[in-house]
Amino acid sequence: MVNVVTASGLVKTFGTGRAARRVLDGAAIEVAAGEVVAVHGRSGSGKSTLLHLLGGLDRAEAGRIEVGGLRVDGAKERTLDELRRHHVGFVFQFFHLIPELTGAENLLLPARLLNGDGKGSPERVRALIERLGLEGAAERLPHTLSGGEQQRFAIARALVGDPAVVLADEPTGNLDSEAARTVLGLLGGLREHGPAVVLVTHEREAARIADRVLHLREGRLVP
Amino acid sequence: MSGAVRTALRRLLARRGRTLLAGLGIAAAAAMIGTAATLGFGLATGFERAADRADLPDAIARFDDEELGEIDERVRALPNVEERAYRLEVKGVPLAAGGRSSERGAVHVVRSGRRGYAIVDGADLSGRAGEVVVERGLAEEWDLRVGSELEIGRGARLRVAGIAISPDNVAFPLASAPRVYVAYEALRPLLGADVDPVNVALVWAADPARLDITLAQARATGFGIDNLRFVTRDGVRLLLAQAAGIVIALLVAFSLVALGSALVMLAATARADVERRLRSIGVMRALGFSRAGVSAEHALEAVLLAAPAAALGLAVGVALAAAPSARLLESLNELPPGWSLAPILIACFVGIVAVVALATAWPAWRAAGRAPAEVLRGAAPRPPGGSRAPRLRGGPLALGARLASARPGRLAATVAVLAASISVVVLMLALASLLERLQADPGVLGKRYQLTAKLPASSADAVRALPGVEDASPRYVVEATDSFRLAESFRLIAYPDDLREWERPPLDEGRLPRGEGEVAIGAGLATALGARPGATLAALLPSGAEVRFRVAGVVRALENDGRVAFAKPGPLLAADPSIEPAIAVRLAGGADRAAVARGLERLGAVAEPVGAATSSNARFLGVLASLLRVVAAVNGLVCLYALVQALTLLALERRAVLAVLRAGGADRTQVALVLGGAAALVVALATGAGIVAERALLGPVVTRFAADYAALSLTPGLGSLLIVVLGTGTLALAATAWVAGRLAREPIVAGLRDE
Repeated sequence: MVNVVTASGLVKTFGTGRAARRVLDGAAIEVAAGEVVAVHGRSGSGKSTLLHLLGGLDRAEAGRIEVGGLRVDGAKERTLDELRRHHVGFVFQFFHLIPELTGAENLLLPARLLNGDGKGSPERVRALIERLGLEGAAERLPHTLSGGEQQRFAIARALVGDPAVVLADEPTGNLDSEAARTVLGLLGGLREHGPAVVLVTHEREAARIADRVLHLREGRLVP
Repeated sequence: MSGAVRTALRRLLARRGRTLLAGLGIAAAAAMIGTAATLGFGLATGFERAADRADLPDAIARFDDEELGEIDERVRALPNVEERAYRLEVKGVPLAAGGRSSERGAVHVVRSGRRGYAIVDGADLSGRAGEVVVERGLAEEWDLRVGSELEIGRGARLRVAGIAISPDNVAFPLASAPRVYVAYEALRPLLGADVDPVNVALVWAADPARLDITLAQARATGFGIDNLRFVTRDGVRLLLAQAAGIVIALLVAFSLVALGSALVMLAATARADVERRLRSIGVMRALGFSRAGVSAEHALEAVLLAAPAAALGLAVGVALAAAPSARLLESLNELPPGWSLAPILIACFVGIVAVVALATAWPAWRAAGRAPAEVLRGAAPRPPGGSRAPRLRGGPLALGARLASARPGRLAATVAVLAASISVVVLMLALASLLERLQADPGVLGKRYQLTAKLPASSADAVRALPGVEDASPRYVVEATDSFRLAESFRLIAYPDDLREWERPPLDEGRLPRGEGEVAIGAGLATALGARPGATLAALLPSGAEVRFRVAGVVRALENDGRVAFAKPGPLLAADPSIEPAIAVRLAGGADRAAVARGLERLGAVAEPVGAATSSNARFLGVLASLLRVVAAVNGLVCLYALVQALTLLALERRAVLAVLRAGGADRTQVALVLGGAAALVVALATGAGIVAERALLGPVVTRFAADYAALSLTPGLGSLLIVVLGTGTLALAATAWVAGRLAREPIVAGLRDE
């Protein structure tokens, strides 16, 4: 299997002086295409930071990162925009849907950012809505949707650009158990369609859908 | 320093960027207020200040040369005279200094007693030979200082002892004759013994309110004194008004409007700042602070921020406006306000700080009244009503517009602030355009002729026959006084033809005169005399003859502050056959003005171009232009600030949305487009509202404040509107670029954590 994510020697420190805390200290990860990897760790262990570095939302102090064939560490901002637009999809704990836009429009917006290169076409958006069973909610505003529905739209939004990897940051952290099961099922089912998934969570339940589970301890990822 | 103040200061310093931004906004509005106050107060009170300082007499009588003893005997006998002084005014005296010269010098030979002018530099005339006091306008124009030498007449060299102002006329070069003062005792050796006559009497009344009685008696006892004319202090004010009154009135009115706009902006800025800090209000409430305590804390912070910002802004505003307004006042022989402006500025300072404190305390009070949990959730907009939303069209731009309109109240406040500023800019451009038209286009005053020539009435046919001349008519102008109220002077204008052929002032009441015994009076004169159609106008001519007319109508005329009367020349000539007309010349379309002027020259007259309410003096208009530029610059800053403030607030509130877009691959340009969409919506609404507000409200209000006796149009032209639209568009781009740049420097994860 081809690796879509390869990262090694990642270092990231927050704070300065006596308050400095190194949350990643030589962390390394490899994710193959279609693989679902769950990353466990206690609160504040650096799980989200790891995702941010992989997705080019933040920069590491040291280490090497390659996602979908693009070198991320040391890349220019324009390259990182490109990475986020075409190679990575994000799913957040708080959904982050735009409240003024309907569910379908929230999917259309990244499609517009893709400048009509085919990946973000309205047809693809419609197909994603059908695939995720959101037809009945597509024209509704986020505040009228349940948490589970909102997170499904967020997952669909992450998939609009047909990314190589979906980075999901505590995707069930804000959901009841039933909705959480549905969302985890969806993420687990993504492997059939191509993208890898890196799932950061502190819920043991998430391990069931993962191909591999890694633990973040002392700044390093261990099985 | 109390604990509360220390805490408030710490909080302000903790968010330096926002504090600086809010402070800049307050400073910008304060600068606008400072400019408005300096202009408005300085110009509105300039005449009275100079008149008081110069001890301007309540009445000035001019007459042909008379023996001092003869005149003094008559003046001494008048009632209500507190003091009197006499001068001999010699006109057409050659003056020269430093390589410059004038053949039109006016030398005032003053005698002991009150002077009627104020020394602003150096010393007054001591009576010693060889001393001269020069008016400030002359000193400025010819670069004369105390101690400089001035040549008067043919070879007499006098040392400048002092520099003076007297607001009984505008200053040189706005007035064509430079004025100097010499002492009677000093001049006698220069001009010989024949300087005993006087031709000017200055009269200070014991009770200025009863000056009418004094003047009526003076008329009655003026028998035998040739060419006796009176001008009162009010009359002098009118004289100055002819030169710049309408301009000053417009600027003062404009300042008042600018002041109102700035206050609206201050209130909105302070309110916006509280909106940013909703979470901290929630935390304070959660920690047990009372509602009043939260409100007071915010008010204290606002005061600590507003005080230095307001002081700085006011200082900047004063500094910007002081020099051009002082130059304008100088050209009118008036004085800048100096320290008398201080109480006004202090009041402005207190007002600004109070407005900011109240505008901060009130929304804080309201926010603190909400459930702390709700406030802690932050300033994110409430979900839109209903379950459906319009279709997203246009991508990032449309999204920006949608985000901006998610809070209709905020959008309305931002649009209101910006619209107020834009309407002031439109007003300013319309004002500038009006000034230009007043300067160059006599049609603004309803005049339908472009040239006048000093020729006898019988030359009208010859003038009419000149190539390029459409029509010509004798035009009689007499400076008259109301016989019943001698302090009220006015300009009597007469044409043998139909008045509408030559003047078209809009009719306010009644109708235009038809017969010889009828007159149409300007609204300014109607107000002064309390006259309406049907009343009698008794005009006392300079010759002492009186002519009575029936008032047929009231017209809105700008000339002479509306103190005009239009009649037929018959009764005037019957009362005083010596009245000489000028020939009014209407040019044909596309006529060569210079060729017509040459034709008039051949007939023996100099063509005088017909101006309007302002002087043709280039320096004077240059001063006005710089004033308008100052106000425009300040106002442009205010617009820019309002836009930056609105976009910064939007970016802050919708931080998470923008971060998600960036996480989804939106680059800097696309984020800027989202902000640009918001800016475009705000600017489009504000520009429309601003233009409508100027046309429907500000323009009419300003013209009404400035000259309710005339019909002035402050309607902006297409060019002005284009400038406004392009200008606001450019400001929107600048604000968008700035905020987008700041946003791009912020890590994406910082926005994602903001939930």
